[in-house]
Amino acid sequence: MALLEIRGLVKRFLGVTAVDQVDLAVEPGELVSLIGPNGSGKTTLFNCVTGYLAADGGRVLFRGRDLTNVAPHRVARLGVARTFQQVSVFPRLSALENLLVFLQQHQEEHLLARLLRTRRLRRLEAEAVERARRLLDLVGLTDKADAGAGSLSYGQRKLLAFAAALMPDPDLLLLDEPAAAVNPTMINQLKDHILALHRQGKTVLLVEHNMEVVMDISQRVVVLDHGQKIAEGSPEAIRRDSRVIEAYFGR
Amino acid sequence: MRRAATLVLAAAVVAAPWLVAAVVPRQQRYVLHVLIFTALVAALALSYDLVVGHVGSLSLAHPAFFGVGAYAAAILATRAHWPFLAGLLAAALAAALVAALVGVPLFRLTEHAFAVGTLGLALVAGIVANNWVEVTRGPLCITGIPKPVLGLPGGPMVAITTLPGYYWLALAALAAVALLYRRLTTFRLGRAFHAVRDNEPLAGAAGIDPLRYRMLAFTIGAALAGGVGALYVHYLSVMCPEEMTVALTVNLLVIVFLGGVGTLRGVLVGAILFTALPEILRLAPTWRLVIYGALLLLVVVRSPEGIDSLLRRATGARPAR
Repeated sequence: MALLEIRGLVKRFLGVTAVDQVDLAVEPGELVSLIGPNGSGKTTLFNCVTGYLAADGGRVLFRGRDLTNVAPHRVARLGVARTFQQVSVFPRLSALENLLVFLQQHQEEHLLARLLRTRRLRRLEAEAVERARRLLDLVGLTDKADAGAGSLSYGQRKLLAFAAALMPDPDLLLLDEPAAAVNPTMINQLKDHILALHRQGKTVLLVEHNMEVVMDISQRVVVLDHGQKIAEGSPEAIRRDSRVIEAYFGR
Repeated sequence: MRRAATLVLAAAVVAAPWLVAAVVPRQQRYVLHVLIFTALVAALALSYDLVVGHVGSLSLAHPAFFGVGAYAAAILATRAHWPFLAGLLAAALAAALVAALVGVPLFRLTEHAFAVGTLGLALVAGIVANNWVEVTRGPLCITGIPKPVLGLPGGPMVAITTLPGYYWLALAALAAVALLYRRLTTFRLGRAFHAVRDNEPLAGAAGIDPLRYRMLAFTIGAALAGGVGALYVHYLSVMCPEEMTVALTVNLLVIVFLGGVGTLRGVLVGAILFTALPEILRLAPTWRLVIYGALLLLVVVRSPEGIDSLLRRATGARPAR
């Protein structure tokens, strides 16, 4: 069974069909890229999958469970993590706290337990801090742990947001243009991180404009144009696909 | 060193009635009254800051919750002869109930509409207090509210009849509110509140239900405001509709933003300055409000983030979150 299955997804904005009958299945452990010209509906599709937009038709299934019109926080707690195109961190929390907040909601949420700070909760917190520090090490932000996230550079915030998405150890990771406006050194780092996740057996769906990244790391590429899926296949096949070339460069 | 200073300050606050008696024996009653008022206003401002400072929702409804608690306590004490503590609890619950009922539709509104909606609630509450004469006695006010008697049924009872006694009661209430405020705004709860405040869509991606946490802060803030309302009417022994006008919101906003929104110390300092300073300035009666206004302006210009950020800069501390 596919981990994520999108069937006939439709999203319209005031008569413009942003996502038009898209089918897409992502198998467990796959690394799939979603590409397409600007405005082709990639981010809209992400937003429909993660509950930020209500779909106008079709279904989204995660592990066979219907995600259509489920609220974002519920989607997240089911094990679907996402990042945002615009750099998204909590600017007034420290880098470390930015990571901690991404794990805590998957654990004990009972108000009294949190008010009383039960022993179990303090143990979970200590473990979370440890995990957060490991992830900060991974993305090279070790010495920024206590810095306010708002004081980090653009690239650092992007890496922080990426690490935050990994905090709850999600089953499915949706990355929305992780390489956009990131310098070449960091892009290479990011590629390595994504490949490492893939080797660990994580399932990744990637929206990306940077073709080098897409072609280098994807197992499969799905191309959207004007909200419709126009091609799907291996990176090599997509590179040669006439419809794709036409969509990007015109006839 | 800092610990010692804190201990001395705490001791001075607890011993204030004796200090006041020793320093200004002729004005003891008046100074104690100002101190009691300060403690209650500080507790109210903290309950308000839970909503404004920590989940970032500009609620203007706080007078309504204060008023619901105040009237609930006043009516239960004068008509049903409920004991003080039972009335206090009922006041907090009544205010929380109103908040829980109106909160769900109100939080569906976006930022500014939410502020207007809560303002509407405050205005309606004021109109009800003025016109539902059978219950609130309207402008005639509820009078003869008894002094609080502490104690549980069957146990020893302590009547709070003196000003020092009331000061300690208000101080204990403030301490309890401050403790709860701290517990709510740090660790995992605080982080979730701040996540919702700073970036709601991202909070969703972190698995946080923004509505749940907004409602939590709103309802607990309302419950505490209702409790302060009960303490207030038992102190004054009178409850009138004028106590819950929009002017109260303005005062709370000045305190919270003057002191430092979202900071415990800032809100406390704001409450002290706001209530004590105008009284101190009575020494220069003609220029009192002019000086007061000028001081407020000075703070806003010099330190838009409030007095707390001034204090932080002075002590070289890391920004509080």
